[in-house]
Amino acid sequence: MSKKAAKILLVGNPNVGKSVIFNRLTGSDAVVSNYPGTTVDYTEGTFISGKQEYTVIDVPGAYSLEARDKAEEVAVRMLHEHRDATVVVVLDATRIERGLYIALETIEMGRSVLIALNMIDMAHDRKISVDDRKLQKLLGVPVVPLTAITGEGIMQLSDMIRKAQASDVKDILARAEGRASEPAQASGCAGC
Amino acid sequence: MQKEEHPNRHKRQVVQGADMVLNEDQRWSLVDLLAKQTISAGTYKQTVWDVIGELTVKPLTGIPVAFAVLYAFWSVFGSFAGALCTDGFFVKFFDNHFLPWMQAIWPDPNSILYFLFVGDPLADNCFEAFGVLTSGLFIAIGVVLPAVLIFYLMMAILEDSGYLPRLAVLVDTLLHKMGLHGYAIVPTILGLGCNVPAITATRILETKKQRFIMMTLLAIFVPCGAQLGIMLEVIPESVGYVMLFLLIGYVVFGYLLSKIVPGTNPEILIDVPPYHMPQRANITKKLWMRTSGFIINAVPFVLLGVLFINLLYIGGVIQWLSDVFAPVFVHWFGVPKETAGPLIAAFLRKDLAVAQLSNIEMTQYQMISAVVLISIYFPCVATFVVMLKEGWKELLAAVGVLFAVAFIYGGIIHAIGILLGVA
Repeated sequence: MSKKAAKILLVGNPNVGKSVIFNRLTGSDAVVSNYPGTTVDYTEGTFISGKQEYTVIDVPGAYSLEARDKAEEVAVRMLHEHRDATVVVVLDATRIERGLYIALETIEMGRSVLIALNMIDMAHDRKISVDDRKLQKLLGVPVVPLTAITGEGIMQLSDMIRKAQASDVKDILARAEGRASEPAQASGCAGC
Repeated sequence: MQKEEHPNRHKRQVVQGADMVLNEDQRWSLVDLLAKQTISAGTYKQTVWDVIGELTVKPLTGIPVAFAVLYAFWSVFGSFAGALCTDGFFVKFFDNHFLPWMQAIWPDPNSILYFLFVGDPLADNCFEAFGVLTSGLFIAIGVVLPAVLIFYLMMAILEDSGYLPRLAVLVDTLLHKMGLHGYAIVPTILGLGCNVPAITATRILETKKQRFIMMTLLAIFVPCGAQLGIMLEVIPESVGYVMLFLLIGYVVFGYLLSKIVPGTNPEILIDVPPYHMPQRANITKKLWMRTSGFIINAVPFVLLGVLFINLLYIGGVIQWLSDVFAPVFVHWFGVPKETAGPLIAAFLRKDLAVAQLSNIEMTQYQMISAVVLISIYFPCVATFVVMLKEGWKELLAAVGVLFAVAFIYGGIIHAIGILLGVA
C-alpha cells in the first residue's frame, strides 16, 4: 500500500444496518441482530479499495450526538477521537428523517461525509421512493443507495468512499429553501 | 424522538471547522425540508405480516403470544438438549462405555492422579465419578454443549426476527415498577444465554440507576444457558420451582432496589423495527461464533474447575469450609453442609456446581434451595470480570447487594419450606 490506512467511521441510528455494512466491507464477524442496540461497543476491521487500505470502525447506533446512554457515548467519543476519519452516515431508507438529523450534526462538525442509503429494498416494498440524486445535490455530499443485507451497492459504496467530502450547513439550508442559484459544489466530485 | 426529556443529556459539543451550527429546532426543520423534497410515499397496503406484528404488541393478544413463545422456547430446549442429545446419546455413551473404559485403563485406582482425573473408582455414572476426564468432559460436552447449542439457535432466531423490541413494549409497565423500562428485557433475555454479553448490553439503558439495577439483577437472578441445561438434566422435576423462585426474586428485589437506589428512570420511546425473516447465513454465523466461543472458553474452564475442586478436597479445604459454615447452611438456609463445595465451584462455573450438588444426599426441597443459592450467591468469574470492566464502584455495590440478597432470600426460601412442611 502506498499510503497509510485511511480511517472510516460508520455512524447512524440504531438498527439501520451499520454492522451489516461493516461485515460486508471487511469480512468481519460483527454480531448482527434485528433490534436497536445490538452493537454497544466499537469494532475495527480493514478493507482495500483502489489501492488504498481503509480501517473501518463500526460504531454503536445513536439518534443524535447528544449521548443519552453509554452505547451512544461510545459513538460520540469515537467521532471525537478520530477527527481525521471519513464518516459514513448510514440511513434507513424507510425512515430517513431521523437519520438525517445525525447526518446534519456530523456535517456541521465539518467532517468529510458520505451517506449510505441502506435498506432500499425495504423502502421499495413499502412504496417509499427516495430521490438519492436530489438528496446528494441538496446535501452536497455523495449519497450511495444500497441494500447491505444482500450486498447490493456495497461495491459502489467502497468506490465512493474516497469521494466523501465536507459540506456547509449554511449552503444546505439555502439550497433546501430554494434560495441558492448555484448547484451543489462538485469540487473533486466529478461523478456525483 | 423527543430527547429533551433526558436528564443526562450532554451539553452541545464544541464543533470545529464548521461555519454554522444549527440549534435543535432549526436542524429538525431543515430535516423536514430535505425530506419533503426527496421522499415520496405511495399508498402502502398492510400485509398479513403487519397485522400479525400488531397483534404481538397489543397486550390482549401479545401476552398470550409471549407465553406461547417462551413455552415453545423451553420445550424445544428441553426435548432437544435434555431428551434427545443428553439422555438419548451422551449419558449412554459416557456411563456405559467411556467411564468403564477410563476406569479400566487408568493405572492405580488409589493414586492421586486417578482421583483427580478419573475420580471415584466405584462410580457407575459420570455425575458421581467427578474426575476431570470423566465428569468434566461429560458435563461440558455431554450436557451443556447440546443445551447451549440449541439455546443459541433459538436465541439467534429471536434476535433476528425483531421480536425482542416487541417483548420490551409488553413488559414495559412491569419493569417500570422495578426501576427499569421495557428495554431491560433485552439484557435479561441475553443473560439467559450467557450473563457476560448481557452485562455489556446494559449500556443501552440510559441512567446509572437503571444500569446498576439491571446488572445486579442479572448477576443474582438470571441463570445462564449452561446452568439451565444442567438443571434440566440433574433436577428435571424441580427446574420449574427453581425458575419460579428466581423470577419472584427478580421482580421483588427489582422493586426494592428501585426504591433504594438513587437516580432516575426516564420514559423512553422504544424503536420497534419491522419483522424480518431470520437469514440462514446470519443465524449459522452467530451459532458458530457462540458455540465455538463456548468450546474454546467454557470447556477448559469446566475441566480446570473439576481439577481445582478435587485439589481442594484433597487439601481438606472444602471439608474445613463445610464445618465452619455448617451452622449457616444447616440452620439458616436449610441445606446440607456439604453444599460448601458446590458453592466454591459456582464461582468458576454454575453448571459444574449444579452437577456437583447431584452427588449430595438431600430432599427435593433442599435441592431446590441449594440450586437457587448457587444461582444467587455470586456471579461466575467471567461475569465478575465484565462487571469489573463496566465500573468497580458499581461492582462493589452490586456484590454488597448480592450478599445481602442471598442471605435474606435464602433464609426466606427456607422459611417457606418450613411453612409448607417440606423443609
